[in-house]
Amino acid sequence: MNTKENSRREFLATTLLAGAALAGCGGNPFTPDEVTDVKPSGEMVKLLSVDGEIIEVDKAFLKPVPEMPPVPNSEARVGIPGKKFAMVIDLSRCKSVKKCQSACNHMHHIHPGQNWIKVYPMQESEKTAPYWQPTTCMHCDEPPCVKVCPVDATFKRKDGIVLIDSDRCVGCRFCMAACPYSSRVFNWEEPQIEKEIADKPYSCETSVPQKKGTVGKCDFCPDMVRQGGLPHCVSACPNGVFFFGDILEDSVTNGSETFRFSELIKDKSGYRLMEDLGTKPSVYYLPPVNRNFPFENSEEKEKA
Amino acid sequence: MEKLAENKIIEDLLPQKFGKQGQIWVISLLAVCALGFYAYCRQLYYGLEVTALRDYASWGIYISNFVFFVAISLVGSLITAVLRLTDVHWSTPLTRIAEIIAVSAISFAGLIIIVDMGRPDRFYNLFTHGRLQSPIIWDVIVITTYLFISLLLLYFPLLPDLKIMIGYKERNGKYLQKLYEFLGSFWKNKPEQFKITDKAINILSVTIIPVAFAIHTVTSWLFATTYRPGWDSTNFGAYFISGAFLVGAGGVLIAMYVFRTHYKLEKYITDDHFNKMGKIVVLLALVYLYFNINEFLVPAFKMKKAEEEHLMGLFTGEFSPIFWFAISASMLVPILILVTKKGRTPKWAFFAGILVVVGSWFKRFLIVTPTLLHPFLPMHDVPKNYMHYFPTWEEWAIAGGSLAGALLVITFFARIFPIIPIHETIIETESHEKA
Amino acid sequence: MRKHKIIQVLVLVIALVPSLLMAQAVEKNSLSLNLKYYNDNNITHHLLVQAKSKIDGKFQQIPNIPVEFYITTDADKANLLGKGITNGKGEALIEIPPTAKMEWLKSPNQTFVVTAAATKNFDDAKGELAITKAKLKIDTAEGRMITAKIVALVDTTWKPIAAVDVIVGVRRLGGILNANETQTYPTDSATGGVTAEFKRDSIPGDQKGNIVLVASVVDNETYGNLTAEMVVPWGKKSVYMTNFDHRTLFARRGHSPFWLEILAYTIVVGVWSVIIFLLVQIKNIKKLGVE
Repeated sequence: MNTKENSRREFLATTLLAGAALAGCGGNPFTPDEVTDVKPSGEMVKLLSVDGEIIEVDKAFLKPVPEMPPVPNSEARVGIPGKKFAMVIDLSRCKSVKKCQSACNHMHHIHPGQNWIKVYPMQESEKTAPYWQPTTCMHCDEPPCVKVCPVDATFKRKDGIVLIDSDRCVGCRFCMAACPYSSRVFNWEEPQIEKEIADKPYSCETSVPQKKGTVGKCDFCPDMVRQGGLPHCVSACPNGVFFFGDILEDSVTNGSETFRFSELIKDKSGYRLMEDLGTKPSVYYLPPVNRNFPFENSEEKEKA
Repeated sequence: MEKLAENKIIEDLLPQKFGKQGQIWVISLLAVCALGFYAYCRQLYYGLEVTALRDYASWGIYISNFVFFVAISLVGSLITAVLRLTDVHWSTPLTRIAEIIAVSAISFAGLIIIVDMGRPDRFYNLFTHGRLQSPIIWDVIVITTYLFISLLLLYFPLLPDLKIMIGYKERNGKYLQKLYEFLGSFWKNKPEQFKITDKAINILSVTIIPVAFAIHTVTSWLFATTYRPGWDSTNFGAYFISGAFLVGAGGVLIAMYVFRTHYKLEKYITDDHFNKMGKIVVLLALVYLYFNINEFLVPAFKMKKAEEEHLMGLFTGEFSPIFWFAISASMLVPILILVTKKGRTPKWAFFAGILVVVGSWFKRFLIVTPTLLHPFLPMHDVPKNYMHYFPTWEEWAIAGGSLAGALLVITFFARIFPIIPIHETIIETESHEKA
Repeated sequence: MRKHKIIQVLVLVIALVPSLLMAQAVEKNSLSLNLKYYNDNNITHHLLVQAKSKIDGKFQQIPNIPVEFYITTDADKANLLGKGITNGKGEALIEIPPTAKMEWLKSPNQTFVVTAAATKNFDDAKGELAITKAKLKIDTAEGRMITAKIVALVDTTWKPIAAVDVIVGVRRLGGILNANETQTYPTDSATGGVTAEFKRDSIPGDQKGNIVLVASVVDNETYGNLTAEMVVPWGKKSVYMTNFDHRTLFARRGHSPFWLEILAYTIVVGVWSVIIFLLVQIKNIKKLGVE
């Protein structure tokens, strides 16, 4: 970590401690947050304080962070400093409601029929229990897709997220062949999206708009995280299946419940998919134990 | 080789204008190319949507065609380099056939890979943003290198022939004469010049072998560097190279027969050539069979869960008709034909060559597609048509167009240059006489 | 004359029927606006509106609804705080601007209003929220105890409030990690305070071991949402490690492993020097021919 970031953190910490020492005299809107290394935007806004005074605040320090323009490509390729994102998917809670999928499809304007999140009906063998397994991109620490990309179009960031730059992708689809989790999809035709969305400036952090002839996949919603929010699938799930967090903070949350990551994985015997391949995923699964609902595969019923 | 006067050899081997058959052949190839071009324009406009490729079968006959082209191009190194270095002289009349097949196939391999790209307009990214870690970049590098070496190996032995052809000004016509003069007017048959070309050809013969191995090994790594059942194999490099030599030799058998009958070259491409090439094909087919047994028997013995679906799909499932056709057509039947003396006569050898090439094309299809349709996690949450792959007419037209294009290059080459090296044939005949 | 009237009525009815039918055809969905108040660390405060509608028997979040926020009442345009458009989650928010100063200082209780004009698919809607001004204060005590206290404005004095549920914990990405097993603490009737023992030993903090403690009241009927934060050096010093700049097979361009670079460049240079050598030989042959 460079000294610039260091001094920024110190600045935040001292200002708040000073603020606290002055015992609620207010006026200092800076909240230090060791997790978000927010850089000041330089854009000040005038607001009314709780005490009825008029104060000036940098836009970047407001909470929740107002919608900011997407970060430049050079920054999106490096990632959010000081973070390492992880997801925990609790299989014991998943009933295949698929709200995660529809929220994800909706927010990323994914081509009809395609999905970045898939919810698999799994059954290891005839006599073992069936369960639902939602999969996102695993954001592997040693991503096989990134290894094979010829043009740096898909890349691994400092914060652990694997992203795609659709302005760079040549559409060779080697990454799709390399991914053992089948998490990548391809824009076979011109995306069917409204003009308003199609005209948005592309950012690899939002993955919007999708582009013809390029690869897409789950991006862990870094744009939401930058705003202090959670990925769309996490907030959309009515059963709290998805937990998201920063492994360096040792915590994950589904919005309403927050756990210490290490304790959760230890207590519930968390595991990762296809560990033997050595891909080191960032997505952990909690086994489908103690489920108090039946496994109902309506898709299969429809087929039959 | 029969005793032949120098003049007679030159007379026989100079390139000839297209006859009626030749014209029909060229026009039909052009028609196939034009259809392929039209289909490609559609693909450029609508995107890869016009293909049957989808998220699971994301590679299809474009890639299998690519592998096929790379494979068949290896023959250049086999016939010219391997046989030359081992001092085998009977193959001299076949060297140029082999080299032009190599050059044209490797060029179309490069083209078809661009056809497969979702964003061909960004092709330059491979050079401006290339990542050395990616096997695709390795492939780009070795294929370019191989193309250059093959061109050089085509050019050096052509120099003395160019001098001979420049002598037939009237026969050549204005443009061809200019071309010949541009390429070889400086060749004076000086001993010093021969010394340089002999040395150059030897250096090339040595260099082309590792480069040829590299192109096909790297191509096999495009698959073998992934985890997927059917591709995740340490056997893949050798398996690909042995298969490549086989299909290349099969291609030479076909070309030999076509040139021999069409240009009346019975004195130069003799029955004995078919006999010897036939034996080589048997050997190569056996080697390829050996690697196939390794490739399928070993995982089938274990039947790991992920492999099982893929293997059973090939042996008895969805892909079994193509699988058993490819195995018998590319290896078993040609072996049975070519082990007999009668099978090594031109007509039978030609037939065996066709079997080898067609079987090998389908073999490449089987290497690419079934694996993609058997991912680790079951195919799910996709539209129904994503779970199968049968190429659309656009794909067939484009793949067919690329094959026709490669044949066109060979055809035009034979129209412009002597397909059998004249000078070397004269030398061989002379040394034969002396002996 | 009477006949005339009947015809008039008939004409009227006939004229009305199609329009009634039309109204039936483009029946709009009713929109509900749920307004929330947030006090952020007793400094800034903001309003959040959630637009929802019951479509096909299910509540759905409605994006792209233009909304207007007012303080006290929407009758007076001077009370307009600002406008917003609901996002993909059907939410829009506004920070309280300086223009609200006069209204805000009038009384310990405050009403906010949000309105949405009728759109193509939805009827117009209005949401109201009344809160009592309150502050949540956080502090620490001996033995790694966290204390929080809630006070509300009664007339002109801040008085402790009892029986409000307070969450006490550590600020983490996207949520609050409870200080111990207890989810929420009700405030004490005498002091309006809660006390929680900090049991998150060796929780990672920043490089100096600082963590942010949070006390939070969520969706209280009277006081809205309140949070208070404070920094304490109770965390484990974090050491940030990344292999981002390492030379690996999955690193970016220019960061491939040395063995790969050496191998690749040696081969490329070796083979291409042979090709260049041969091109030079062609030149030599040319020279010999020209002489």
